[in-house]
Amino acid sequence: MNRQEFLELSAGHALHALSPADEQLFTEAMAAHPEWAGDIRADRETAALLGSAVPSVTPSAELRGRILDQIGRGSGATAPAEAPTPRPSMARRGWFALAASLVVLLVLAGVGALFASQIAGPPTSSTALAQIQRQPDADSATEKVAGGGTATVHWSDTLGKAVLVSDGMARIPSGKVFELWYVRDGTPTAAGTFTTTDGKATAPLRGSMHLGDTIAVTVEPHGGSPTGAPTTRPIVAIPTS
Amino acid sequence: MLDLPPRAVIVEPVVIDGLDEPEYQPDPIDQVGLLLVRTAGGDRDAFSQLYDIMASRILGLIVRILIDRAQSEEVLQEVFLEAWQSASRFAPNKGRGRTWLLTIAHRRAVDRVRASQSASDRDLRIGRRNLGVDYDVVAEHVELRIEAEQVGSALAELSDAQRETLTLAYFGGYSQSEIATLTGAPLGTVKTRMRDGLARLRDRLGVST
Repeated sequence: MNRQEFLELSAGHALHALSPADEQLFTEAMAAHPEWAGDIRADRETAALLGSAVPSVTPSAELRGRILDQIGRGSGATAPAEAPTPRPSMARRGWFALAASLVVLLVLAGVGALFASQIAGPPTSSTALAQIQRQPDADSATEKVAGGGTATVHWSDTLGKAVLVSDGMARIPSGKVFELWYVRDGTPTAAGTFTTTDGKATAPLRGSMHLGDTIAVTVEPHGGSPTGAPTTRPIVAIPTS
Repeated sequence: MLDLPPRAVIVEPVVIDGLDEPEYQPDPIDQVGLLLVRTAGGDRDAFSQLYDIMASRILGLIVRILIDRAQSEEVLQEVFLEAWQSASRFAPNKGRGRTWLLTIAHRRAVDRVRASQSASDRDLRIGRRNLGVDYDVVAEHVELRIEAEQVGSALAELSDAQRETLTLAYFGGYSQSEIATLTGAPLGTVKTRMRDGLARLRDRLGVST
């Protein structure tokens, strides 16, 4: 595909006007040509300018309270959503819309459970990596590791999974392990431990990755940090966006 | 392997103790983006500010597409619940917060109009009103008005066919094949018009890649 062909897809995508088949082509081309990411971003920005040029319409006063009420009942932005409870007074159509979004949430929860069950019997590191690399949105980033070597994180936002691959890392002192962390908004969450062989390791991260997380590695006592929080400065930190 | 370009987001000994500033470097004037980042951390105050800043603008877009006020408010509610759920997917280094929210709103409004109104209904509806956007009535905020005028004059520089294609897609919620049927143009022509029209707008409005 040349750039002009890609720009046709990118424009159609930004305007939400592609057929499902073309949308698929777009996704594949986007994965194959990261150098065109700027075009996608610019088309999306241009489309949004069309949207923001429209006259404002003030929402009804009670809508604000209803929305804040709904998020108040959740347990946080990153927690699984509590599905909004349909109100008896809502119009039939509204009820169906809420029911439909409830189905989506249940499906998403099911997908999450599926991944959970897949990692319950831990996949070999190479299958986890292969699984990520099969995704159209597979991406990776590499950083130097303090003390030598490099670490590359491979991830797929669709899967919410990440694998760290290291090369040339210094040998870890005995009794210690490398521990992986998702750092999200400044807060680290443990994502498993690993060791290297000849400086090499392929380590799938436990839990689910969110795009924008920074993947960090610290050196911790055998078994991982006893406190559940890092006890040393990270030797490498890799942003995923 | 190490010859990577410097990354926009530098994390050097990272924020791991939670005392340092977060590692992202959002555009300082992207208020909406900053609020989204705070929302991703579960900050309900930030979320309600986000609502106060953006709700009427987003509802304006949804109403433009759906017309029906009650349905539009339902979609607005879906948009903000999605924003609350997925704010962590907003990447400040990949675009502005407003773009992120308007993209969600547009997608949801288009999905709703396709699900709830047949193409012929929309045909009649869009036929009854001006295909173009009436920019004269945009006035609340100076910033918004200037922006609307810029968009309006940029749209005016497009060919009629390009403008019609963009308008049908963005404000009518029509797919490329529906536009081909409506206008009698071959599908390939519609795709080219959409690409060239959007590219011209993008240049004219100074959106950089």
